[in-house]
Amino acid sequence: MANLVRSAAAAGPLARTVDHAAVTRYLFLVPYLIVFALFRFGPIAGGWLISLTRWSLIGSPRWVGAANYRALWHDPLFWVSVKNTLAFTAVAGPMLVLGGLALALLVDQPLRGRHLARVMIFAPYAVMSAVVGVLWNWLYDTNFGILNYYLRLVGLPVVAWLTNERVALAAIALTTVWWTVGYNMVIFLAGLQEVPVELHEAAIVDGATFWQRFRSITLPLLTPTTYAVVILTLINTGQVFDQIYVMTAGGPGTATLTLVQYMYYQAFQTYNLGYGAAIAYATFVVLLVVTLIVQRLFRREVAA
Amino acid sequence: MRPLPRAVLSVVLLGVVMAAILPLVWMVSTSLKPEGQILSYPPRWLPATPTLENYTSVLRRFAFGRWTLNSVVVALAATSFVVLFDAMAGYALARLRSRGSDFLFALIVSMLLVPIQVTVIPLFLLFAEVRLLDSFTALILPTTANITGVLLMRQFFLGFPVELEEAARIDGAAEARIWWSVVIPMAGPALGAVAALTFVSSWNSLLWPLIAVNSDQVRTLPVGIAQYMGSHAGTSGSAPAYGPALASATMATLPALLIFLFLQRYFVRGIAMTGLKG
Repeated sequence: MANLVRSAAAAGPLARTVDHAAVTRYLFLVPYLIVFALFRFGPIAGGWLISLTRWSLIGSPRWVGAANYRALWHDPLFWVSVKNTLAFTAVAGPMLVLGGLALALLVDQPLRGRHLARVMIFAPYAVMSAVVGVLWNWLYDTNFGILNYYLRLVGLPVVAWLTNERVALAAIALTTVWWTVGYNMVIFLAGLQEVPVELHEAAIVDGATFWQRFRSITLPLLTPTTYAVVILTLINTGQVFDQIYVMTAGGPGTATLTLVQYMYYQAFQTYNLGYGAAIAYATFVVLLVVTLIVQRLFRREVAA
Repeated sequence: MRPLPRAVLSVVLLGVVMAAILPLVWMVSTSLKPEGQILSYPPRWLPATPTLENYTSVLRRFAFGRWTLNSVVVALAATSFVVLFDAMAGYALARLRSRGSDFLFALIVSMLLVPIQVTVIPLFLLFAEVRLLDSFTALILPTTANITGVLLMRQFFLGFPVELEEAARIDGAAEARIWWSVVIPMAGPALGAVAALTFVSSWNSLLWPLIAVNSDQVRTLPVGIAQYMGSHAGTSGSAPAYGPALASATMATLPALLIFLFLQRYFVRGIAMTGLKG
């Protein structure tokens, strides 16, 4: 009875607090929206405008319309960096995704020390990219590096990891796998925990082997996770910069010149800011196209 | 039952763990060797005469302590802002659910598709215009416009029981108070995940600081290491000075690695959430 009275009395003020609540919530958005507008949305929109100008540090910007994009189309270095970016993604991407999945399956088995192993496999991710570059410069040293020492020891030819034009990009891809495959492992491992144990138990009773269960239970149920990993990996490999900057700075020659490398070179070493902005937008388009293709492949996979 | 016998799997696991860890062991080992033994043949995993000379040389020649302090300040400030802003915005976006707020959310998420590198040239011009290049402000503020954190927080609050808030509301608590004393105390795991991910990404960040910074007063650790220890950083001789480079690599890595081991469940949770939202 007392409750009834109280809620009836509360109905009036409550109706007013609802509006008040909405206002407060919009106010809650304000700090984030300000930084988002100033430092994300604004620059993304502004970058497009800058890409339509000739803008060097000295002198004022000049509107040139699509001239930067036309120049890009005829710029051999741009196409080299597109090719290198796609090649890096094609080499590192599958290793990162399949490696992450394989590692997740491995540390999901009831092996002794698997919890410690998870942490240790993931540990390189806590190393900063600049350090990763410095460390692998040393591991890859042609004459004194420990990798070539062991290659020599087992009678294999020595590899000029970072100075051979045909190897350098793959070597950096390998470094990237060492550095970040644990990240993908963690995502896959979380996905594996969502697969109902009962399904596996039922399949085991029916005599299904591990691989049969993997193909018809784990993999299909893991599809959303796999999709997320593929897209994240694609975005990260397509935007590669740090390791390359520290290890080869795009060289030898242009063997490891990627799109972000080239943007950095044009915008901040020769100060063609407008042209650099055009490269940045071209990177966006390249990544978008690759992402859409992968998305289609996944959709077909799910439909089939 | 299992794909392969347990013994085989254990050996594979050991191999993978060694591949992950040995490069780091080799880094520490090399950093403790005197100049003359670094390039000695055959390589020795344990330094014959361990020395700290590479460390003292780094600390003498570079503002390494300053870079570290700068990195810590920038990462802590960026993380505080991100956690606060994202917890507020994520909560608002989870509870408003009006046409306007859904549109805002879609707009924010769609910007995830645009590579962050697109923003560095406009940001450079923006901070040059207001004469704030080479300042902590330039390093911290752009990091606060983070998208993943808002996504994670919104996702978390969507799964958060509204009943708790309703009870406080009926008791007449103001909205801001409900958020602060009912919602936030329950959001620990999500806040921890966002904090861990933000801290690491700020701590690692190279491209933007490389562009925005040119003095030791503001230079962060990744920039210092990349500029002074990278392959193109004046290693003119035939034998690069690996000793100091690896000493600085070790100094930059070991504290972070320890903190990471301590907080790894937050990372793991944050990363797992990143995958599940997709």
